[in-house]
Formats: sequence, C-alpha cells, structure tokens
Amino acid sequence: MAGILSYGAYVPVWRISRDEIARNSGGGSMAGERAVASRDEDSLTMAVEAGLDCLGSLDSQEIDELYFATTSSPFVEKQGAAIIASALDLRRDVTTCDMTGSLRASVLAVKAAADAVQAGRARKVLVLAADARKARPRSDLEQSSGDGAAALLIGAGDGIARLEGFASAVNAIPGPWKRTEDDYPNVFDARFDTRYGFLNDMPQAMASVMAKCEVGADTISRFALYAPDPRSHMALARAMKLDLKTQLQDIMFSSVGVTGTAHSLLLLVAALERATAGQWLLCAGYGEGSTALLSRATGKIEQEQGKHRGTKYALSGRLLPSYGHFLDFKNEIDTGWPEWQKSSVVRYWRDENSALRLHGMKCRACGGLQYPVSRVCALCGAKDSYEDVRLTRKGKVFSYTHDYLLGPGNVPPDGISPTTRVVVDLEDGCRLWLEMTDPDTSEIGVGTPVELTFRLVNEKSNYRFYGWKARPVR
Amino acid sequence: MREGIRDKVAIIGTGVTKFGEHWDKSAGDLIVDAVHAACGEANVDLKRDVEAIWASTLYYWSGMSGWIAADPLRFYGKPVTRVENQCASGMDAVRNAAYAVAAGAYDIVVACGVEKLLDQGGRGLSQEIVHTHPVLAWQSAPAYFAPCAVSAFKEWGWSREDLARVAVKNHHNGAKHPKAHFQMEITAEMVLKAPMVAYPLGLFDCCGLSEGAAAVVLTRPDIARSLVGDSYASIKALALAVETQWPYFRPDWTGLALPANVKAAQMAYREAGITNPRRELDFAVVHDCFTITELLIYQDLGLCPPGEATELVKSGVTAIDGEFPVNPDGGLKCFGHPVGATGVRMVAELTKQVLGKAEGYQVKDANIGLAHNLGGPQAIASVAIVGKPD
Repeated sequence: MAGILSYGAYVPVWRISRDEIARNSGGGSMAGERAVASRDEDSLTMAVEAGLDCLGSLDSQEIDELYFATTSSPFVEKQGAAIIASALDLRRDVTTCDMTGSLRASVLAVKAAADAVQAGRARKVLVLAADARKARPRSDLEQSSGDGAAALLIGAGDGIARLEGFASAVNAIPGPWKRTEDDYPNVFDARFDTRYGFLNDMPQAMASVMAKCEVGADTISRFALYAPDPRSHMALARAMKLDLKTQLQDIMFSSVGVTGTAHSLLLLVAALERATAGQWLLCAGYGEGSTALLSRATGKIEQEQGKHRGTKYALSGRLLPSYGHFLDFKNEIDTGWPEWQKSSVVRYWRDENSALRLHGMKCRACGGLQYPVSRVCALCGAKDSYEDVRLTRKGKVFSYTHDYLLGPGNVPPDGISPTTRVVVDLEDGCRLWLEMTDPDTSEIGVGTPVELTFRLVNEKSNYRFYGWKARPVR
Repeated sequence: MREGIRDKVAIIGTGVTKFGEHWDKSAGDLIVDAVHAACGEANVDLKRDVEAIWASTLYYWSGMSGWIAADPLRFYGKPVTRVENQCASGMDAVRNAAYAVAAGAYDIVVACGVEKLLDQGGRGLSQEIVHTHPVLAWQSAPAYFAPCAVSAFKEWGWSREDLARVAVKNHHNGAKHPKAHFQMEITAEMVLKAPMVAYPLGLFDCCGLSEGAAAVVLTRPDIARSLVGDSYASIKALALAVETQWPYFRPDWTGLALPANVKAAQMAYREAGITNPRRELDFAVVHDCFTITELLIYQDLGLCPPGEATELVKSGVTAIDGEFPVNPDGGLKCFGHPVGATGVRMVAELTKQVLGKAEGYQVKDANIGLAHNLGGPQAIASVAIVGKPD
C-alpha cells in the first residue's frame, strides 16, 4: 500500500488586490487578493520551496523519484525536475520527470507515484506541483489566478494518510488551452467549460473513486476540490450535495487565487493540516477530464501537523503598491534597467554543487566550513582535502548594503528599487554573500535573521541561471 | 625579499591629462598626451630613448594587449605589455616597469595607464568584466565597500557625518588642482543630502566616473642625473598584495580592515626601511574610491589605531596643512577613477610633491610620501613610497 508520508506548500509573499487590478484594467473586481510570484520566482523555484517545506528534516537521499507537475515551466525543452532535484540535493540516480499539459497533472503525478510505490519500484517519490501562469492583462484569468506550489511525499506504508484509490474521467473538451506559440492560455468561454467539462467530469471521477472504495460522500470529511473560480466551486459542491460548512475545503480564492496545477494539492495540504486520524479526504483535479484521489488519515497525522509551514505561507502576504508593479513582476513591461547579456553556462554547470546544490566545503585539515567549494582551503591552505557539505538555510545578517546601482531590486514605497546584499552567517558557521530578495529595507540590520531561498539569479546567454538568495524569515 | 628596489629607480618625468569626461578623445589620444608630456619632462625622445612600455587598462573597449600603447604611439618593434590588476592596474604597471630598470634589463622605460569608461557602451562601470561568476557574488563597486561602513558604524560608532568629513576635505584640496575632474568645494550638508548609491554611501561618498591617462618615465639614478639633474624622485618601495576576489565569503571577514592593504603596507615599509610611517613619511595619496575606504586605509597603513581614523580627519591631521596630509591632490573623490590611469597618476602626484612642483596644492616639507592604489572588492592593494634621492 502507498501513503502520504509528508506534505508541504509554498505561496509567494507578494499579493495584489483585485480591486487594484480592476481599477487599472477597467473590469469588475473579483474582490480579495491574489498571490504573485516575485520577479525572481517561477513555477520551478516555487516547487523547490514546497519541496523544502515537505522534506523538512527528512533525509533527501532517500528520495527515489521526483515528479514536477506544472503548465508554466520556464522551459519548453529542458526538464524542470532535473534542476529541482539538484536544488533539493537529491541523489544523482533519482528518476525525474515533468508532468504537464493539464491542470490535473498534479493529481496524475500523485497517482503515478502511488503506482510506482505499490509496484515496489520506488520507496519514496516526491510530487511537486507549481504554477505561475501568465494571464492576458485585463482578462478574468488575470484576477482569478494565483501563484503557488504544493508538495506531497508518497511512500510505502500508510504514512500519515493512506492512499485508498484513484479514478479518472477524460474529456477532449476545448477548455483553456495554450499553444506553443501562445503567450497566454486561451479561454473559449469559461461558462461552457464549467458546464460541459468541470461539472460533468469532476462528479464523474469523484463518484467513481467513491464507488471503488465503497465510501459514501457522507463518510468523507473533507473535499479538496479544484475549481476555476468560486462560483463553479459552489456549483460543484451543491451538485455533490456536500455540507458547505463542514465538508468543503475553502479554495483560498480571497487570499491566494487559483494556483493552476498546484491548486488541487494545495487544498489537499490544507485539508491534511486539519485532519484527524481516520478521516476520509477526497481530492480532485480538473483539466480535459478529472482525476480524483481518496485518502484516509492515519494515527500518525497529528505528529506531522505543525512540522510544515504549508498553507501558513498564505497568511504572510505583502501588498504590491500598484498594478504597474504586478505587470513588472509578470514580465509584461520592461523595467528599463540595463543588463549585460552574457554569462558562462559551462562555468555554471561545473559549479553545480555550489550554485545549485548549496554545497560548501568542510576542510579535513582544519575543519573550516567555506563557500563556494574550491580545491584549496581558504583558511589553512590544505589542497584537495575536503568534503562537500549541504549548508543549512538559516542564518543572521553580519553586514549588508542596499545597492541602488543594481536593479531592479525590491519594492519600497518610494519607488526606488535598490538591490539588497547581505553577508550572512549561517547556523552551521558558514558565511555567504548573497542577494537578499523580497526584503523590507526598513527591517534589515546587523543580526536580522534570514533564510535561504532558491531563485532566478539572472537570465543571460538565453539561459536561466538559478541560485540561492537570502529572504526575510516567513 | 633580498634587497628590494629602494633607490634603484628614478622617476624623471610625469604626464597627466586632465581627468574628466573625454567624449571626443579615444584611449589612444589620451595615452599620446600623457606619454609625450612625461617624455618631454624627462628630456627623452620616445622612439629613440624609451626601450619598453608597461601600459595598464581594465576594460577591453579601452584596448587590449600591448597595442593599447604601441598603436597610438606608433611604438613598434619593442616590448609593450598590458598590465591588468583591477583598479590597482596602474600602480602595478609602474611596479613592473621599475623592476625591469632595477634588474638592469633596460635603461629607460615608460609606465602608463588609461581608461575610457564612456566608451564601454553603458553608464557607470561596465559589469561585463567584473562579473566573473554566473550566479555568485556580484554587485556594483560601491556595494563592495558599503558593508564595511555598516560594520564600522556598528563596531566603532562611526556615522555618515564622519564619512562626509572625508569628502569635504578632499574636495577642498581638489578644488585647487587644475587636472581634477571636480574642482569644487562641497559641504557636509551636500554630502548627507545627496541621493543614496549603496547604503550607507551616498553620491558624494563615492568617486566619480572619469577618464584620463597618466605616464611616468623611469630610469636608473645615474642616468637620471645626466638627463634632468636633481629634478627627479626616487622610488623607495613598490609593493603589491593580492587577496581574495570574494572577501565576504571568508569566515574571518570583518569589514573593519582590508588585509591586502595591511600586507602591502608592511611589505613597502620593510623595503623602504620605515618603522613608524606616521612620523617617517610626510604625506600620502590614497585610494579614496569611497569615503569609508579612506578611513579604513588610515588604519591599515598604521597611521592610527583601529577605530580612530575619523579623529584624524576631524582634528585636521590629514588636512593639506595638517600634520600628515592625505590626498592633497583631492584624491579619487575629485579626480574620479579611470581605472588603469589612477595608480600611475598617484605616482606622478608623489613625484610632483617631493619635487615641490605641486603648485596650489603643495604639501610643506614633502620629502617622502606614500601612494596607495586599491583594486577589486578590497582585494588588490599596491603601495608605492617615493621620496627625494638619498
């Protein structure tokens, strides 16, 4: 049997008020706020965050497979999971795979993980789902979408929630689609897709999985159901005759928005965070059909709760000052900062252990911990005598500056965007010089606690260079 | 060190262009002006007498290889070497040229440096060359030094007002230097109210972006006397210390002292036979790329104990008429920092001062002085000591 061993989630710190979007785009406001990936975040970096949250203190070396579900991978040709596996410092023989093309790729990934575990081909499979979808400015999708990620660790045994069954329905309906050459998803008519797709396929998959497991809807404590918008969500809940107050997991529309591929799992994580032993949880995703999964919390669920930040990330938001900032974050407008264009992909590849895996070197001669890895110890001069060590990701600011010549950086109220740089002393004693992302410049000083986050550092030579930055503790 | 080069090499000619924005001149044009001026002062003919050239420049749009000097000067068929050691390139060119003379390889050589920053195709210092790793440790030049100020504020209670006094002092001196880019006095209030560049460094805490070239002619003392009589200065020491490009990753980085400065100074003092620099030297020209840098340099050079540099400025010790004038020329604060040219210009300034030719900004009783050139993120320091011949 396969079960959920752990869970995690991530929601970026930035929010935009839908009223602010509406004021600028001229439409009605859907009210509330939506989450916005920072300028240096994308589905890949958010997946890393959710993965870190999910793994917590677990040994990343035990992961056998990694699936990355998204419809907004920054690469059309290049596997996101490979970069994520490196950032999470997984083994070199891990099986990695991107699952894409449909917003239910996340639930499909969980099914594939459960199948691999049940077949005995893998012991632990990490499923990451993330989306930072681009929506056409002024479209409904721009307001309804949110950016975020969720993670589930699937493994042998019952874990904290036993995976009881899966069921799917498929439907070649022209719901939202995005061709290779499209900048944004096309939406033919959202009402059409809801009526003939969503409200048809979701109940079908849900009924099917309940029948397979011989469980009635009344027995199920929580329904974590993807929906493209709150109205469709309510329509589905009513069609399924759910008790809206007790059985329906809130879809976080007013605080986060619909996080695409991640959303069904994000809601399941929210349900797991409050579940008690023995409770049944149904999660269903949608996209050209539906896939539903039924799980049942075990006696271990309560030990896991509180170990992860999970949907608490949704609570610590900072409002973007304007729709202009939102468009800038979504790369819709040119910030006008001069950029030099070239960098060395070869050097980046060669330095993977430092740049992506966050390895420092521990000198065998003097014990000194240093970053980045290099052949000769900076402290005692010993040559080729060190071990690679994965660094901790928490530390304190030793010194810093706000660099007004490099940008665009953070988002202060005065409109000037310096880039903050910090000298950080990590808890393990290693010292790093890092860019600080998402900072509140008024809250940075010597001694300020920070944590490390995986972000896009720059984009040159037509490549995306990812690496580690510091950010305020969330 | 076996013997070093103390008093083995003489400076017989200096040439410095006006520093500033030279939109209408190429790097070659500036090199021609500086080198010919230096040769003129030295009473030597470039093509006939000069045997080799060391030329420094950082950015490749200013030129590459020995061509940066060979082509504009039409100085062909002889040794010309481009020297690059970040912002300390200039003084390193002088060092290499001096060693060739001291070794007896050549009788008469030229060291020169130039930088055409406006030709780099962008505003400010182009990062194209500075940014050496795809994702690790990059920032603007002021941000290299700003964390030192944050650390000094915390450790010693220094303030932005303390930094401002350095800028005011240097602008006071530079206002009288005809070659300076910024020939104007400023007030502490201007410094404190200027826009922020890299917190806590504001606009006037930073040196400007300038262009220019400088050259010196070097020879043996016996040849010097035959060419210019007594009108030459003698190199007492030339030292260079290279530290890490990534100081902030070092577990022992404090921001309160720059190890390259300390080591280069100790090396130079030993070569020149100096034990108490504050007493035995008469003045200094130092690399005040940022106000905080000048203060830390005082301490690194051993002019005062750690934490007391601000007092030297406050009490007027380092003013032009003080007990130990620092940057009587106005420093980088007024000259800006055409990277490859700066170190050569500093050696030219020492020569002018010890020869008593620093009209308008002459230090009293300037018999022996020190120049300090700093490169990279506090990483490459060069120290020259130049005085009257023994």
